[in-house]
Amino acid sequence: MPDLSVEQFQSLSQLIYQKLGLHFDAKKIYFLKTRVAKRMAALGLADPREYLFKLGYADPKGEEMQALANLVTTNETYMFREYDQLQAFANHCLPEVLSIKQARGERKLRIWSAGCSSGEEPYTLAMIVQDVFPQAQSWDCEIVATDIDENMLKHVAAARYGARSVAEVPDEYREKYLIEDGDEWVVRRRTAALVQARNLNLSDRMAMRAMRGFDFIFCRNVLIYFDDLSRKAVVDHFYNALNPGGYVFLGHSESVGRVTTAFKLKRFENHLVYMRE
Amino acid sequence: MSSIAEYVEKLNDPEESERTYAAEDIGYLNVPEGVPPLLARLGAELSLAVRGAIFQALIRIDGDAPIEGSIRLLESDDPQIRNQAVDVLRHKGARSVPFLNIVMRDGDKDLRKLVLDVLSGSRTSDAAEIYAAALHDKDPNVVITAVENLGGIRAGEFRNQIEDLLQADSHPMLVAACIEALVEIGGESSLAAIRRRFKDLATVPDFFLASLLKALAALGSAEEFAEVASLLPVRGPHLRPAILSALIAILPRCQLPVLAGNLLPCLQAVVNGGDPPLCRYQAVRVLGFWAARDDVCSFLVSCLSNPERMVRLGAAESLRTTDRPGLQPVLTARALEESDEEVLQALTC
Repeated sequence: MPDLSVEQFQSLSQLIYQKLGLHFDAKKIYFLKTRVAKRMAALGLADPREYLFKLGYADPKGEEMQALANLVTTNETYMFREYDQLQAFANHCLPEVLSIKQARGERKLRIWSAGCSSGEEPYTLAMIVQDVFPQAQSWDCEIVATDIDENMLKHVAAARYGARSVAEVPDEYREKYLIEDGDEWVVRRRTAALVQARNLNLSDRMAMRAMRGFDFIFCRNVLIYFDDLSRKAVVDHFYNALNPGGYVFLGHSESVGRVTTAFKLKRFENHLVYMRE
Repeated sequence: MSSIAEYVEKLNDPEESERTYAAEDIGYLNVPEGVPPLLARLGAELSLAVRGAIFQALIRIDGDAPIEGSIRLLESDDPQIRNQAVDVLRHKGARSVPFLNIVMRDGDKDLRKLVLDVLSGSRTSDAAEIYAAALHDKDPNVVITAVENLGGIRAGEFRNQIEDLLQADSHPMLVAACIEALVEIGGESSLAAIRRRFKDLATVPDFFLASLLKALAALGSAEEFAEVASLLPVRGPHLRPAILSALIAILPRCQLPVLAGNLLPCLQAVVNGGDPPLCRYQAVRVLGFWAARDDVCSFLVSCLSNPERMVRLGAAESLRTTDRPGLQPVLTARALEESDEEVLQALTC
């Protein structure tokens, strides 16, 4: 295994942060070292300096960064992933948007889970909405779950999940919104009914323009697989798809601020969130 | 199908999203006639979202028009516009170089610095003329940026010039930039040039020492080892990571030196002291080179039970690299008690 020096580790983690937005602190030196070793072996490189140079200066299309990203990111998705962010949504952003709407006499709430994969995120949001806002049933409330992969959308429609997907669901939520069925868990019909699954390619600009009038957009851990230009284009579409006062949530590792300056940064306690003014 | 005229009209739509879409559509239309209206709109546009879409469109449009337009934007009073223009020009790559050459020749020092910002991060063909001019620029910031870029892109053809700059110039930032560039592109002559400038490490100010240690890590050999090691007990804790990194980098390149009398206790003190975990890890890794010695080996084995996981990780990695008899059962036994996944992996891999 190549002996990545501390400086090299720091340069590498800085590079990964700049390109992917993923933060690796000192505790992750071994993790990163083992992943880099795999990539160096694949490329036939012996010196970590060569690998760092390739990544930083000889990777114009970002292919090597993508190959490394595939090794250092997890594709696993599960309900209540990135709980802190969901708390900001549940405790601050959602009540704020709802109270403004109530004051205006509006009874419509629209949330978009973009790149929803097998549906753990939209159902998490459905549970939170019902919990924070029980009146959701009497509102025109919709969670639009989109993905490019039809197979994933079939999973969403089935609303049926294995133990790993629901492992992080708090007990009180599990009792209220899920039903155990053998070794699987099914989202209760009333909760599942809030979620509408649709096929959508985030790179299809005409289809993206049709997505309008959302109060919240969640697109977490999806854009790290996009190149800079495409990522920027998608986030610009999110801006236009949001109602004024609406919020966008990207993954913890994907700062909106690094992609565009159009959103307003707001702080709720320890949470930073991005809002369309 | 919509025409350019329709999109241009929509660039002035009162609706922000319509203006964004118009800019985007003009970008996808990819015709040079789209550039002037985009630039005209930029001058009046207040929405950051629309501005962003205009710059994305300039990136998408091929040809010289967006390059010429972006070159003009480098003179904007608005730093955000300047930065985004740099970004457009960077995306254009080699095609923008002839235009950047003109700015390098005729522009003021701020523009010349921006030209180098455009070139940073990629090895753009035909930029040699710009760099040659930049290395002789009268503004130190321009020279420093050029040296940093050349180190970054490993432009070895400029090594001699950078070595000369190191000897001639006294601007501290430039000296540090030259050393850092030579870390990337230096050879034997570079180490000699650096040592001509800094003869005695013990008297080098902290500001230069961090860069100097990087250079010694990259280029140094047995001769430098003892000198670097002697810094460990006498320089501040903030320099310890750089000193330890240099030792770790030099050791594989030379025949293993004798573990000098005070180095072992000094490294042990770092391992057991209050330094950050990463620094303690490095100290363990340095000791790992002498793991064949009984006293070092037993110390490393004791590190496997250290409460700090980075110390355990360093010890596991160090001990794995030795073929000392009788060590395997120790590592196996320790693995049974280890709860940290990565340390466990290092113990058993």
